[in-house]
Amino acid sequence: MDKQSKGYMGKIMNVDLTTGKIQIERLSPIVYESFLSGMGLAAHLLYHRIPAGADPLGPDNLLGFVSGLLTGTGSLFTGRWMVVGKSPLTKGWGEANCGGSFSPAIKRCGVDGIFFKGISPKPVYLYVDDTTMELRDAATIWGMDAVETETHLINSLKKKNARVACIGQSGENLSLISGVSTDKGRIAARSGLGAVMGSKNLKALVLAGTQRIGVHNREEIKRLSQICNRWVQFQPPFVPGFLTAPIGALMRMMPAVLTQDGLLYKILLRKWGTVSMNQMSVEMGDSPIKNWNGTNKDWGFFKSRSSNPDVFIRKEEAKFHCYSCPLGCGGICKTDGKFSETHKPEYETVLSLGGFLMNKNVDSVFYLNELLNRAGMDSISAGHAVGFAMECFERGIITTRDTMGVELKWGDPIAIEFLIEKMITRDGIGDILADGVKVAAERIGKGADKIAIHAGGQEPAMHDSRNDPGFALHYSVEPAPGRHTNGAGLYYEMYQLWKKVKGVPKMGPVYMKSSKYKKNIKHARIGKANSQYLNVMNGSGACLFGGFLGAKRIRIFDWLNAATGWHRTPEQYMEIGTNIQTLKQAFNVRQGLLPKDNRISDRLLGLPAQTRGANKGRSVDIDTMMKDYWSLFGWDPETGIPSRETIEGLASVA
Amino acid sequence: MAYFILESCIGCTNCQTICPSQAIVGEKKGLHAINPAICIECGACGRICPAKAVEDNFGVVAQQIKKQDWEKPTFNLNACISCGICLDTCPAGALDANLQKVGSRHVFPCLPDESICMGCGFCAADCPVEAITMGPRLSKSPKLVKKAS
Repeated sequence: MDKQSKGYMGKIMNVDLTTGKIQIERLSPIVYESFLSGMGLAAHLLYHRIPAGADPLGPDNLLGFVSGLLTGTGSLFTGRWMVVGKSPLTKGWGEANCGGSFSPAIKRCGVDGIFFKGISPKPVYLYVDDTTMELRDAATIWGMDAVETETHLINSLKKKNARVACIGQSGENLSLISGVSTDKGRIAARSGLGAVMGSKNLKALVLAGTQRIGVHNREEIKRLSQICNRWVQFQPPFVPGFLTAPIGALMRMMPAVLTQDGLLYKILLRKWGTVSMNQMSVEMGDSPIKNWNGTNKDWGFFKSRSSNPDVFIRKEEAKFHCYSCPLGCGGICKTDGKFSETHKPEYETVLSLGGFLMNKNVDSVFYLNELLNRAGMDSISAGHAVGFAMECFERGIITTRDTMGVELKWGDPIAIEFLIEKMITRDGIGDILADGVKVAAERIGKGADKIAIHAGGQEPAMHDSRNDPGFALHYSVEPAPGRHTNGAGLYYEMYQLWKKVKGVPKMGPVYMKSSKYKKNIKHARIGKANSQYLNVMNGSGACLFGGFLGAKRIRIFDWLNAATGWHRTPEQYMEIGTNIQTLKQAFNVRQGLLPKDNRISDRLLGLPAQTRGANKGRSVDIDTMMKDYWSLFGWDPETGIPSRETIEGLASVA
Repeated sequence: MAYFILESCIGCTNCQTICPSQAIVGEKKGLHAINPAICIECGACGRICPAKAVEDNFGVVAQQIKKQDWEKPTFNLNACISCGICLDTCPAGALDANLQKVGSRHVFPCLPDESICMGCGFCAADCPVEAITMGPRLSKSPKLVKKAS
């Protein structure tokens, strides 16, 4: 067998859980040339192989674990892996993205992805090394949380170098907001794909291969990595944590915005991790408060100070680096209470369980962070479900009769812990909430759907689109809606794509805030470039935070050429990004989804506008932006549906 | 390309035992064979073979080297960026990471048990910032220090 020297392995593993049959399938190089690897490869395969109308929790759904084209090539910030499938939460394209060390493990088993179909008659896990690929009985580990599962498998198999991805109790219980965990509590959380894994009776993947990952020009990759690394290691002293809030307030008060250079964000990430934004984002008007109904005035300096980034650093014992990451924004924290150790909570989790619920108790955030990671439940969606329940309670839509006698008061950590523990075990009110806010609202009725905040069923992240309308666009138009990772106006500023790609909008050094809310095709052009670039990054296995360094500092396009031996221009790679986006959109259309139905809830659009706080008086003209965006992709501007000719052209790739 | 076992193989099974990718098959006292689809060209089979029966991927017969003379990695912690690439690329799982620099919470690679290292040099080859060098094992270093001083 020939060894690939193009960064990708050229093969995938297909596992039929119904029959137990496992096969290696070689793919045509044209597939990689057309869609890269990672998410692009997955879009190609899932479009062809998941039939229309497939039950997301049935045997016809495919669940894929894919690595990036650049993973393992010596490039930096390229250790992301992705889990894909038809989402039971949105009923359309499902994807979740995670770091840690699982991504290279996929390729060291000699493949770019592992795809599961069917349903196993009993709980199993997949074990793969260089000579073995088999399904093994998982009866003894079914019921364990993700950390217990990983520890048990590695110890019992005596495979120190094995990497594990698994579901916790949440995925086993088919919660539609469950994900897949790895590295003792990092989680590919979104789209509810943990439930798909649970529905297949698949508890875990254990990968212990040692295969080499060949590249076209390793020296050139190293040269580019060293350029990137020099920017990462640039770390001047920065202010103490308590000053991040006043900086945010200052940014809120200024009528103009300095176009953001991601190098500043890198400095924050290096020092604190994503928790650096805890207070700054609240003050800027980026963080949602009280189920998107509150404002920074409800969660001012003195309330948010419990989440001062220094609080988290004090508990941090060691930095956590994902594979191939020179930055190390993660951390391992020592905590008191039930769990002695946890991954440092991320900004999304801190806000989702903190300000979003008016909860000042940071100890409960640490506890719930670990509890959710172990159970394999998405902390963003879990926070939304609790916030939704609290607002329902406040409005009298549910009462103590529905909540086992517990009063659901804003900011009460006992009530929050009660709800989340019940959601994990699917007990009582927890069973109603465990499938996300859209399903919960349908179960509760009584007009609860008006306060269930989501885009196509997916709860949005902790970034307010009234502050950055780019979030509203990407929450609404992406095939996997409701994601903060898909794009934003701020992201485009930090990507600095105009320095590397011809034909994309240029940003000046400063702009007026009011310009973000005015009708302008530029917003959609920025949105298109965001989506294209993210698809290239997800095809490469690249980290969003690496992307924020700026396209001239993190040379994704050049790394791709050096790894593969191709001679592509950045514009050609962006076109691949277009093709991946179109294929994912076509996937949704074939599954019967109407793209316009993924429009984010009115509350996030400022409809009606807030009357106080950072986003006072702001509303977003999302309908125009969506039409412009679809039009730029060449899709029908009214429906968002790509033309038959376009889809057939992409589908014809072998 | 992959390593290849010649007919001079005496079937001692040393190569089979040390191969980290389980690429070698054969019975004791019988001719062994390397599965080229799995071989990762780490060279451990050649270094351990007492019968000069292993040919490398350039067709050169590998020379046996005493295990205590196999090269081991040394880590330059000032250049290291804690990216973990070396830990992942090590086929023997010989590397670990821990806190080693005063005042830094970043973890750095180390070789806790030299006997596990096969001296393949993949960690040094793959390190993106050239922070790893292969050389004589650390237990010999006192002698070298003496010479230098």
